[in-house]
Amino acid sequence: MQERTQKFRAENGQFFNGGVLTIVLSVAAVMGLVSLSGVATSFRLPGDHQGYEPVQPIAFSHRLHAGELEAPCQYCHFGAERSRYAGIPPANVCMNCHRFVTASRSAIRGEEQLAEKENREPRAVESPELRKLYDALGLGKELSAPEPGKQPRPIQWVRVHKLPDFVHFDHRPHVAAGLACQKCHGPVETMERVRQVENLSMGWCVNCHRGRTDSAVARSGLKPSTDCSVCHM
Amino acid sequence: MPKSTRKQDKLYIGGDQTADAIGAAVPRSVEAHRPPSPPVDQTPRQNRDEVSGVSRRSFLETLGFVFAGTMVAGCERGPVERAIPYLNQPPELTPGKPLWYASTCGACPSACGLLIKCRDGRPIKLEGNSEHPIFRGGLCAIGQASILELYDSQRLMEPFANGRKKAWPEVDAQIIARLGEIGRKGGKIRLLSETVNSPTLHRCIKGFLQKFPRAKHISYDAISVSAVLDAHERSHGVRVLPHYDFEKAEVIASFDADFLGSWISPVEFAKSYTAGRCLDSKQTSFSYHVQFEARMSLTGSKADRRHSVLPSDLAGLLRELGKLLSSQVSAGPPLPEKLDEEKKTPDHGAVDRRVLIDLAERLAGTQGRSLVISGSQDIEVQMLCNSINDLLGNYGATLDIERPSQQRAGDDAELDLLVRELEAGEVDAFLVLDANPVYDLPNGEKVAAALKATPLVVSMTTHNNETSAAAHFLLPIPHYLESWGDAEPVAGIPAVMQPALHPLGNSRSMSESLAIWSGAGKPVRELVELTWREIHFSSKTVGGRFQDFWDRTVRRGFAGLQPHPSAIVSPRQVSAAWDEEPLSHGEPGKGRSKDLLTLLLYPKVAIQDGRHAVNPWLQELPDPITKVVWDNYASLSSALAEQLGVKDGDIVRLNVGEVRHTLELPVLIQPGQHPKVVAVALGYGRMGTERFFAVGPDWFQKQLTVEKGQTLGGSAAPFVGMTSAGRRLHVQGVKIEKTHRQRMLARTQDYHSLELPKNVDPGAPPRPIVQETTLSAFLKDPTAGSQARHGPEANLWPRDHEYVKEHWAMVVDLTACTGCSACVISCQAENNIPVVGKDEVLRKREMHWLRIDRYYAGAGPDVAVTHQPMMCHHCDNAPCETVCPVLATVHTSDGLNAQIYNRCVGTRYCANNCPFKTRRFNWFKYSFENERENLVLNPDVTVRSRGVMEKCSFCVQRIAEARIEAKVEGRPMEDGAIVTACQQSCPASAIVFGDVNDPESQVSKNLKSPRKYTLLKDLNLEPSVAYLRVVRNRESSKVTGESHG
Repeated sequence: MQERTQKFRAENGQFFNGGVLTIVLSVAAVMGLVSLSGVATSFRLPGDHQGYEPVQPIAFSHRLHAGELEAPCQYCHFGAERSRYAGIPPANVCMNCHRFVTASRSAIRGEEQLAEKENREPRAVESPELRKLYDALGLGKELSAPEPGKQPRPIQWVRVHKLPDFVHFDHRPHVAAGLACQKCHGPVETMERVRQVENLSMGWCVNCHRGRTDSAVARSGLKPSTDCSVCHM
Repeated sequence: MPKSTRKQDKLYIGGDQTADAIGAAVPRSVEAHRPPSPPVDQTPRQNRDEVSGVSRRSFLETLGFVFAGTMVAGCERGPVERAIPYLNQPPELTPGKPLWYASTCGACPSACGLLIKCRDGRPIKLEGNSEHPIFRGGLCAIGQASILELYDSQRLMEPFANGRKKAWPEVDAQIIARLGEIGRKGGKIRLLSETVNSPTLHRCIKGFLQKFPRAKHISYDAISVSAVLDAHERSHGVRVLPHYDFEKAEVIASFDADFLGSWISPVEFAKSYTAGRCLDSKQTSFSYHVQFEARMSLTGSKADRRHSVLPSDLAGLLRELGKLLSSQVSAGPPLPEKLDEEKKTPDHGAVDRRVLIDLAERLAGTQGRSLVISGSQDIEVQMLCNSINDLLGNYGATLDIERPSQQRAGDDAELDLLVRELEAGEVDAFLVLDANPVYDLPNGEKVAAALKATPLVVSMTTHNNETSAAAHFLLPIPHYLESWGDAEPVAGIPAVMQPALHPLGNSRSMSESLAIWSGAGKPVRELVELTWREIHFSSKTVGGRFQDFWDRTVRRGFAGLQPHPSAIVSPRQVSAAWDEEPLSHGEPGKGRSKDLLTLLLYPKVAIQDGRHAVNPWLQELPDPITKVVWDNYASLSSALAEQLGVKDGDIVRLNVGEVRHTLELPVLIQPGQHPKVVAVALGYGRMGTERFFAVGPDWFQKQLTVEKGQTLGGSAAPFVGMTSAGRRLHVQGVKIEKTHRQRMLARTQDYHSLELPKNVDPGAPPRPIVQETTLSAFLKDPTAGSQARHGPEANLWPRDHEYVKEHWAMVVDLTACTGCSACVISCQAENNIPVVGKDEVLRKREMHWLRIDRYYAGAGPDVAVTHQPMMCHHCDNAPCETVCPVLATVHTSDGLNAQIYNRCVGTRYCANNCPFKTRRFNWFKYSFENERENLVLNPDVTVRSRGVMEKCSFCVQRIAEARIEAKVEGRPMEDGAIVTACQQSCPASAIVFGDVNDPESQVSKNLKSPRKYTLLKDLNLEPSVAYLRVVRNRESSKVTGESHG
């Protein structure tokens, strides 16, 4: 055994003394430092998904709806004041408008101008993104009733804001306290595609509950609880 | 390129050598599995790195892969989660918000009113409907647990014909053809069901019988009360089950009727029983309850006086009581003289005559305000009860036979006839409507054999069972939470069942099937509506449109009506039946020897007749008296055990001379039991319990709950005495043989003791954990029974918790608590508590957050029993909090002792330091069998993972819900807005929860009760749970000392 160990040492000594090794190790060290510096700047705790901006099955624009058209958040996310979940709006809520609005204004204008040029009646214009909504509902050309033989399929949105399973978050008291949606969700009305702005970590929640941030909550005199059992139950 | 080759060459050599050297350091076992290396010189150089273990290149490759892997892992975002909203969301539904539906429990024919809590389209919790006039918001353990069976992955999901999966139209066509053929030939068609309390099913059966005039419907109950009905037929001319009212009864004499545990309608009886034992209102009314029984039943454990008597002595006792009464009650008609000729008080094992004289005096003093009942299946006993109740004028007061109960209507005589027909091969078509005669009946094997020879057997059932094994057609019926239906537990109070989710399988209700086969097929909803339109709505008292009445009923779950004229019975005067000869009917034990042992069969509180035996919640629910889980056993008195030379856990073989059946069961020594009685529970050995071999965590020391392929416990049903006059549950002449083998019984009582260990303070008196007093003492001094010890002289606990807003507390009234254990299952369903299996319970690792401790005091038959629910006491000075090194258990501003699972690292210091032993540790990841069972989980409560401590949270999720509701609506929280799961289901209304900072709250009032005491006062814990002292209606307290076991 002792003999073998000595052999091992001797040969490894030879190995580590090799010039190749020096090169390899120094390259690895440089690469490691470069990549580690990247890690250090974007260091995040497990479960921290700040900046998450997944591609959604339908390119729905919050900038257009909430920003430009000024639709109130709770018109679509009506669960926020009634339930713990704000909820993703069901397709029938979309259809309140999109039964009539089938394309963007510019697309319709373009078709009208084209029709004028070609001296014909303008055709119905349908946005390809809205077509995905209609397809999900099993609607054909006629939007008032489902097309026979067409199978409705629910839309599989990708969830952006997600808390761990051991956290119990309820939208209701936050809405009731008069907190703006943007406080947690960021300037959604400017986002083409929704992005997670805050890191939604416990420290971030607790800072607001403690009134350490310059939020509406702290100023309103509401004393949100910092008991563990408020969120962990 | 050549340069590089050379360099590589050099390294190759080094690599090889290194590999050899490293290989030497590899453990022997790995080395042994290494393929032998080919000789070095025969291998081409280029391939050397492949044959040797580790080379420089592979080393760097691995290094690089690990490095890159770590980088990638650091950046991963976890699985992409989809959010799938409705396409068209129903207006009443908001995701995340529970929806409640009123319905009726279908777990047994008692048909309690309940509310179904649905979250996002699936039922997750059942609660009693507090508006229901009969059940008043209670729901028993079985009802609570029945929700788990909804998601049972082993439920029957498709119809089968001769073992092959078939579609419904095909099944119908075949059955209709076969029935038609049998009908034309004039063959016998027999329908067998348990008690039909559903007016719709009743109507459909009637329709079927009209279509097939030679058909006959027989109903029976697995746990029969046929004798009560038969006795009323003889004495009153109508075969009805009276509707008992314990609230109005000031004296209750129960002769072996376990009305709080298993007899007829325990929830209803517990509600009215406790309502009649009220101590805290301005006028104290407290009934006197005396129990004569052979084994210690749940009801016996609550009785003010309990006497252990043989089941065969009940008739003699009642006769004696009747004689005494007839001499005292002058107004009533004297009892028939025949009674006087009968022999005197039974001499052996019977009670002192003074007891009967005392009881007779009490009964005579409370005429029209008393109740004499018996659970015996001896018609003579029941006739005597009827006579005594009639003599006392209790009919119309505490017993209602004009609006009778319809919860049990089985007819054992008819059943006996049917079995004879089956055995004679006379039955051509046998339709089983959700019944299991092969298991339930003593001659089940014969019935099974007879079914094999029957040309057409149709079994409608939720699960494969003993009877359906012989069926040609196996038809799935829906769980009661999936289907429309109705029930009428008491005449005039019909109730609706409504589906809370779309059926999970391809099932069809029995009413619908029968309607289709009799040519009037309709969806079951229409059938139910039609019944209500025709039967209930036609009552003139219901005004308005039917639709309004129907909508109102579905919303409320029940309707209070005048009973249908056909339901009102005209009772006949009692007495005529007395002339009939002979009332007794060849009892097997007539002319018996005094030394013979009696085998007493009984239904357990959670298992009953075994219909829910596949439910793991119920199997793991400790029996209220014996605290045994996951097994059947033979209960013996300590005297008999000593005589036989057996102790707890010794397996004995039971056999009864005439019955060719033996049963091997472990012994359990039961205080209070009659020394000549061996008591064995029914409902074990059920088909389908084989699945429990897989229950519990999988690890190397695991002991199986049941051996593979075996059923749980043994069936005692073959011992049931089946006579033409009824099935009786006691048999004389049982022989006990020792087998010299043992089986451990898992009991939850023997550990988690609050008592001070003997070695700590040998001379210390027992801690005053259970405090009790007598009614007379209580009336003199409401604080009687107090065993207050000196509190601490100095307080080391800092006053660092201010309860500015609320301070939650709970008060448990031990006088009211019957120990029925409904709260335990309610808590389990609400808080996602796992099932751990027998082995883990034996290792003291059961997970129930709420346990009920049972204490015996005194000795002999009159042993006093106290049930004490134990949950986390949420101490203001909590010992668990100070020892947690990671602050995973902390105090909240509203007085809760919060357990934070994501912070817990599992040191278990807190559990060690908890004097109440209410903390539970997740030794394993107790996952469910598969995903379908997981649908029952409450999404408001975290599912705990391995290595985490957990305990009662005072239903913090319900507190949060009520608080948020109040906040959103901008109002203060009202008292009673928060009802904990245990409190909600309690059939005795023993638990009150609320805010102590509100002086007007019920809990504050209860805390001011003179009966209030807290546990382990000398430890200065200031617990948030208090108890109200036990009061027994007896003259002198016999309590000498307490034993925990």
